[in-house]
Amino acid sequence: MNATTILNGLLMGGLYALVALGLSLVFGVLRLINLAHGVLVVGASYGALELTQLVHLGPFAALPVVVVVAACFGYGLQRLVLTNLLLKGTEAGIVGTFGLAVLGEAAFASGFTSNGQSLSSSLATASIRIGGTTLEAVLVVATAVAVALTAVLALGISRTRAGSVLRAAASDPATAELMGIDVRQVFAVAVALAAALAAVAGVLYGVASSFTPTSDTSLLLIAVAVVVVGGVGNLTGTLVAGLAVGLVQALSVGLFGGGYSDFTVYLLFFLVLVVRPTGLLGRGAL
Amino acid sequence: MATATAHVVTGAAELDPLARRRVPVAVGALAVVAVVGLGAERLLSPALLNVGVTLFAYVALAEAWNILGGLSGQMSLGVGAFVGTGAYSMALAMNHLGWSWLPGLLVASAAAGVLSAVLAVPLLRLHGDYFAVGTLAAGLALEAWVNNWGFAGGSSGISIAVGAVPTLGTLYSIGLVVAFLAVAVTVVLRWSIFGLRLLALRESELGAELLGVDVVRYRLLVLVLSGMLTGLAGGLFALTQINFVPSDMFGMTWTIEALVMVIIGGMGSVLGPVVGALAIYYGISTELATYPTLSLFLEGGLLLAIVRFFPEGLWPFAVRRLRALAAPARAARRLSGVAARR
Repeated sequence: MNATTILNGLLMGGLYALVALGLSLVFGVLRLINLAHGVLVVGASYGALELTQLVHLGPFAALPVVVVVAACFGYGLQRLVLTNLLLKGTEAGIVGTFGLAVLGEAAFASGFTSNGQSLSSSLATASIRIGGTTLEAVLVVATAVAVALTAVLALGISRTRAGSVLRAAASDPATAELMGIDVRQVFAVAVALAAALAAVAGVLYGVASSFTPTSDTSLLLIAVAVVVVGGVGNLTGTLVAGLAVGLVQALSVGLFGGGYSDFTVYLLFFLVLVVRPTGLLGRGAL
Repeated sequence: MATATAHVVTGAAELDPLARRRVPVAVGALAVVAVVGLGAERLLSPALLNVGVTLFAYVALAEAWNILGGLSGQMSLGVGAFVGTGAYSMALAMNHLGWSWLPGLLVASAAAGVLSAVLAVPLLRLHGDYFAVGTLAAGLALEAWVNNWGFAGGSSGISIAVGAVPTLGTLYSIGLVVAFLAVAVTVVLRWSIFGLRLLALRESELGAELLGVDVVRYRLLVLVLSGMLTGLAGGLFALTQINFVPSDMFGMTWTIEALVMVIIGGMGSVLGPVVGALAIYYGISTELATYPTLSLFLEGGLLLAIVRFFPEGLWPFAVRRLRALAAPARAARRLSGVAARR
């Protein structure tokens, strides 16, 4: 195992953090593990694939379109479906978002083949040489985007008026409502934001690796593992935890071989839940 | 949490401890149905026997999920872990130890039970959606591991020696006994003190604990019991499929099907999962066997639509409507009785 493997693992962790960011936001605000989060990410990958094939856009030119569509979808989803489920309790939230995930997988399987596909971009094969190491350019970009988006989001939540409205709605919806905050609107905006973040992650993930209609489940579990390690509602924690998960995965692949790379993440997830269910880095601002 | 399922328990009779008196009657009625079913074996065509076996296995699968998710509120998304463990342990015991199907099925059930007990160590620390995601992770982790396990055939799968597989008629009878067992266990659980305590901890774990329910013990017992029944169903599925790869047995399909069957039939009710298994198996699985994507669409859509618009489920809905229809007649009888006494 050399420095290149370890650094690329760390950067893969940056991509994981990006995938987990939207989930972390929804989890922090709505107290709901959105089991359809993986579908949002993979949906963006397929959306960008469709655009690159139909209109011959590059994946990064398709990105703004995909992000806007995802945000609108997320907003509608929360307003029309999730709000009513959440009012019915945790069980309805689990079944409903799981149903959404199944629907998404069915949609991908019928619209596309079940073979692995990826978004073609010159960035996918590019690499950056620093010192004696060769870094995958797309992962460097993903990590940079993850750091930037986390910083913007964390600052926005802690420093702006909109952020304090969001925090109020998250910590006590009933009181926030009494203070004149339209909690349903705030929740819908949070889900729209999360879907937009998932879309950014999905496009970068599609460039970095291949995806299938059922990629969403392992992405969801990686994202949940990252959110749990980082602490619920702690966005900075999510970023750090993403890097840590990527690093651990790279180390395990170096030690035990590639067949067990997902296995390691699931094991890590269990270990963290058992040892410290509140996350290694503690609860966050949300 | 309570509102999602509260209406399932609102019937006063269901919370009446005296409902225990119904248990022998209900189990007796089930046994009669099972005996009639066994007797019908000679009359049925091979095609019908085949349908019967799979249906019975689905009834057991759905009831096993219902005991865990419907009665104790522990929503599992890792059904495949237990189906797969049952199927693989049985296939391995039959192939490598030369065992016949009966000890094979017992091994399937026992192995899945042991798996439940082991997984309980992390899982019992989790609640609600954490528990659901934990079971999801357990299922995927196990599938990933079996895909790499050379002794069990790795990703190219395993097949049961054809000579050891019982005939279709025998399979049908085994299936009927397994389904009877699953429904009978649910009846006994649902209408016992044990079951009432499970319902209590489903509604509020803290509340149940404060009332003296040993929450961890009850959750563990129901987890193991559900795992054993699921493993038994897995063994049965293995006998009907003969050749299978890890994704067939450990995959997400089992979770989706168990969930949609229980939700559509009525979560937490005794016969709801049976109704759900019938409806989904005849309505979707056999009709759309050649269109797997379409059935996935329907199942996902159903899950979402039912929790959104019809969370009660078919069976509790039907029972409620029948009671409502019978209510005026009953009230009239009671009134005339009062008048006669005067």
